[in-house]
Amino acid sequence: MLKYIIPTMMLMPLTWLSKNSMIWINTTLHSLLISLTSLLLLNQFGDNSLNFSLTFFSDSLSTPLLILTMWLLPLMLMASQHHLSKENLARKKLFISMLILLQLFLIMTFTATELIFFYIMFEATLVPTLIIITRWGNQTERLNAGLYFLFYTLAGSLPLLVALIYIQNTMGSLNFLILQYWVQPMPNSWSNTFMWLACMMAFMVKMPLYGLHLWLPKAHVEAPIAGSMVLAAILLKLGGYGMMRITLLLNPITDFMAYPFIMLSLWGMIMTSSICLRQTDLKSLIAYSSVSHMALVIVAILIQTPWSYMGATALMIAHGLTSSMLFCLANSNYERVHSRTMILARGLQTLLPLMAAWWLLASLTNLALPPSINLIGELFVVMSTFSWSNITIILMGLNMVITALYSLYMLITTQRGKHTHHINSILPSFTRENALMSLHMLPLLLLSLNPKIILGPLY
Amino acid sequence: MLGLCGRRLLAVAATRGLPAASVRWESSSSRAVIAPSTLAGKRPSEPTLRWQEDPEPEDENLYEKNPDSHGYDKDPAVDVWNMRVVFFFGFSIVLVLGSTFVAYLPDYRMQEWARREAERLVKYREAHGLPLMESNCFDPSKIQLPEDED
Repeated sequence: MLKYIIPTMMLMPLTWLSKNSMIWINTTLHSLLISLTSLLLLNQFGDNSLNFSLTFFSDSLSTPLLILTMWLLPLMLMASQHHLSKENLARKKLFISMLILLQLFLIMTFTATELIFFYIMFEATLVPTLIIITRWGNQTERLNAGLYFLFYTLAGSLPLLVALIYIQNTMGSLNFLILQYWVQPMPNSWSNTFMWLACMMAFMVKMPLYGLHLWLPKAHVEAPIAGSMVLAAILLKLGGYGMMRITLLLNPITDFMAYPFIMLSLWGMIMTSSICLRQTDLKSLIAYSSVSHMALVIVAILIQTPWSYMGATALMIAHGLTSSMLFCLANSNYERVHSRTMILARGLQTLLPLMAAWWLLASLTNLALPPSINLIGELFVVMSTFSWSNITIILMGLNMVITALYSLYMLITTQRGKHTHHINSILPSFTRENALMSLHMLPLLLLSLNPKIILGPLY
Repeated sequence: MLGLCGRRLLAVAATRGLPAASVRWESSSSRAVIAPSTLAGKRPSEPTLRWQEDPEPEDENLYEKNPDSHGYDKDPAVDVWNMRVVFFFGFSIVLVLGSTFVAYLPDYRMQEWARREAERLVKYREAHGLPLMESNCFDPSKIQLPEDED
């Protein structure tokens, strides 16, 4: 594990000691090399996880998320280069340091064995993200957004700390590898109900669950592009990953405790998809689309069947890449028009045809077109929820239709039609932007050829 | 003949940036006047009206100074190197070598081994007349149950 942590830590002196002209080149280069080494984690066994030491382990669930995290850092750096070009040097280096710090905390979160260590790193990821949102966001609402983001997540996770300390006292250890063999069935009682709630609420807020999702549109919209990318692609998946780990300790009361949250998620995914159809702000549309996709993941994790776990893991990775790509596309629009309103920059297909191709691919994967991994994830989730209860197929089917509707709505509004007369000063697409889009899309398309690595531990 | 020479002279004057007429001439038969342009040598005036569709003044157009810009940096040399680094390390090394690594992963999660082992066990059990699978995971004689309480 040190082979990832030490290079990531050393990216910090790399940014601060590089020459002025070389900071972006050096950091992008070295973070790409670190992402290459992350593929070594794919040497997974069928009956055990890769146990690096007493503190770190990685199994088939954390490996794809780790690879995604380490792949996203160079992409974030490439995406931020333009809007930071006017800042002074110290601020640029500070921004890159925040991204690297976030990367470090995320690597340690996904590989933590000890659950308290996981919790500390889970909370620690909030700090660089908050700094990125509130310092480098573009509008005055970013302060409110940072507040919502910080306090929603913090308030949700404080009960988790109490619950983890209680488990440490009763079970004797919080080492996850030991805990999975020591776990006893949890009898039904009021205190165990609250224990279940305490364990799960942190991750429900992070995912986010429909009723607790208010922080997400604010944070995603107000964050700069790197902040939006890391929020959508990784930080939401922290909730899913945590839920998949902690539900091991919470059986069998999950069978009935999960009902309100399954109902909320099933209803919420339709509600947030419908909200997407009414959005004028492009980033807000993508943010609500994230809530909708994550609601599917919540349902999948809570019904706890092998197929649903496979679908949840695949959907997390697929959504991470797709959502990050959509935010990059929205940012390429924003850098030209300086507004997030969709209808202000219409008909871009005639002006920027290559970018229109990326818009098309991103929208198609967002609506889960076969044979992308988005479809594999959604299909597994739909099938497992159907077997859990037949009626859910109506809601799932309705959600897929509305998802297709808003994805195509977003595509048609920004790309098709006659372009507005006031955007004749739009610059052609940069190589940087096209490279960024293809670096998002190519892994997504390659994974559809070999999806077994993202299907998680129950494959 | 005269017209051709005149046209050539005008063309020469135009390409060399000289004013087409250097002295003022007024026709005696008509009101035609040929005069040197008052705008020669002067810069075009700043636009008096700012339209919303004009690019923002603080937006720098990276294509203006460097029409071959790749979008990374103002300095063309750094820009080209950044593009090369991204393409080489991003595509040629990570995507290509990475996909090769993933494609040739040995027996991910031991699926192929599991299939071979299952076939081997089935063959053995069929050859020896044993049942293919027991419904008990563990040997029931080894399980010690607590005493029945009334």
